[in-house]
Amino acid sequence: MNATLALAMISTTIVSGTSLLYATLGELVGERAGIVNLGLEGVMLIGASTGFAGAALSGNPYLGVLAAAVAGVAANLMFGYVVISRGANQLAAGLSLMFFGLGASALIGRPFVGAIVAGLPRLGAFDLLVWLAAPTSLLLWGLLFRTRWGLSLRAVGEAPAAAFAAGKRPDLIQYQALALGGALGAVGGAHLSLALALTWDEGMTAGRGFIAIALVIFAKWNPLWALAGALVFGGAEALQLQFQALGVDISPFLMNMIPYLLTLMILIFWGWNRRSAAPAALGRNFLGVE
Amino acid sequence: MTWLRWLLFGFFCSLAAPAVAAPDLTVGAIYVGSVNDFGYNRSMHDGLTAMKDAIPGTRLLEAENVPESAEAERIMEGMIQQGAKLIFATSFGHQQFAFNLAKKHPDVVFEHAGGWMQSANFGNFFAATQAAWYPMGVAAGKMTKTHTLGFVAGVPIGYVIGNINAFALGARSVDPDVQVRVVVTGSWSDKGKEAAATSALIDQGADVVTMHVDSPATVIQVAESRGVYSIGFQSIAASALAPKGWLTGLGFTWGPFMTATAKSVIDGKFKPAMVRDGLGSMIALAPFGAAVPEATRALVDAAADKIEKGYNPFTGPIADNTGVIRIKAGEAWGGDKMGDFDWYVAGVVGKAK
Repeated sequence: MNATLALAMISTTIVSGTSLLYATLGELVGERAGIVNLGLEGVMLIGASTGFAGAALSGNPYLGVLAAAVAGVAANLMFGYVVISRGANQLAAGLSLMFFGLGASALIGRPFVGAIVAGLPRLGAFDLLVWLAAPTSLLLWGLLFRTRWGLSLRAVGEAPAAAFAAGKRPDLIQYQALALGGALGAVGGAHLSLALALTWDEGMTAGRGFIAIALVIFAKWNPLWALAGALVFGGAEALQLQFQALGVDISPFLMNMIPYLLTLMILIFWGWNRRSAAPAALGRNFLGVE
Repeated sequence: MTWLRWLLFGFFCSLAAPAVAAPDLTVGAIYVGSVNDFGYNRSMHDGLTAMKDAIPGTRLLEAENVPESAEAERIMEGMIQQGAKLIFATSFGHQQFAFNLAKKHPDVVFEHAGGWMQSANFGNFFAATQAAWYPMGVAAGKMTKTHTLGFVAGVPIGYVIGNINAFALGARSVDPDVQVRVVVTGSWSDKGKEAAATSALIDQGADVVTMHVDSPATVIQVAESRGVYSIGFQSIAASALAPKGWLTGLGFTWGPFMTATAKSVIDGKFKPAMVRDGLGSMIALAPFGAAVPEATRALVDAAADKIEKGYNPFTGPIADNTGVIRIKAGEAWGGDKMGDFDWYVAGVVGKAK
């Protein structure tokens, strides 16, 4: 294997991991505020289809990404209303969001199937979203661990009653977290349709949303670890295809299983002691102090 | 009382209006993807549209993105409720569900694409694609400068591996040093993986890429953006995606078969059969791209002609890519063995299963 090939493999890993990273960061923000969103797959799909539609209509891929972010915010806020203001079970509501996203994205994307759009242009080696991936991770870390808002957000995720007693409004903060999370998740989806595949197809995220949810656990709810996780899993998927092209003597069925096996293994072995790192109030609805 | 007069007037008028003609035949069709895919589903849609145009009075019900699950049964049932007497289940995975319905509705004719099941009202059809890939291999072998060809495969069933083998045999017939590298995505349609797979093949040196997935669009677009040649499959319409890199391609021509089947259902003369017609009947060569020189076009046309006249590229002795003889001298693998491939011919890099 020569240098150019090694470079190609590294760049494929980075590009493939980008959409996973944005989705993971989006889920991470929400979970840090105590809300687990199983509908991330749906949010990614909404982002992918809206982004593609926006780029097809406006001719500008960046406007597509913007449209995707707005749609993601809307989807997550809708989920937020159901879970925060109406107190619904988060897991059930999240799965509903996933099905909603599957259908809504199909509806949005239908007129654009087969359309040819200008994808995100390469600025140097990568497109803009790839360049911004690591800085976004750092920014989110700073936001969560070095700002007051971040502190309030983490407090809401650990002990919402305490935050409430301190004068914060947990519901408002959770809404804000979900809005940010929705934008990030949708941008992750948009990267798939506007940079990787340059097309829209129903259900094209193919389970990446769920891998992102697993990655949040792998990352110990820390944006910097999420960067590592996305590279590992994005790499696994990209590299198994590279190895097939290389002619590695392993059955292609086994090769295609690798990213999912890796996810499973990580969850089993690392999930053990990492569960203690979860925000204490994750998944529980704060219905106010009587 | 004026309103009553108008009411009675309207009523008698409607009695005099001619009855709306019932369609002679209602045909239902389910697709696994979108008809805008420049690929398999588009080819099916084009064939059905040709059938509808050829037989006036035909009503066509179509459903896109029908998954290969019990949902398909539900959708086909809905079409039967709307009066469909002929149903085309166009994707491989729709077979069992269509077959179940065929048992429930003996008065409805079912045609499934790509499988093997048959019954009194259930027929099976597809194109014998394998031999048709031979001239594609000839085109690729002549145009490659790196002696490396890339093939993106969806699901590695025997028929797909047969396609790859015929492609390799064709390429090797004009370039004995050529290698075919294969990447399997695991799904008939996963655009993200197809894009990554194409990139991986190009990184490995392939300067001609082709595919067997539902839609050639992603592979061709990635190839075009990276400046390599592409060969299309499933629908001739795909040439629009690669103005510079398009070499040639294969497109299904289902129209005549579908029209004949519909006519047989109208006449009440339907006979179930396992139809596997090849080049010249169910499948045709796409027009050449601008990049292909005259001499190569002649070579490819000659190879296609040879296939249409009955030449079987799978005539022994043929060894697999580990050196084991798989088809002995004097033997030939015919259409009925095309699903049995689980080995690659010499020149293809990798493991088939």
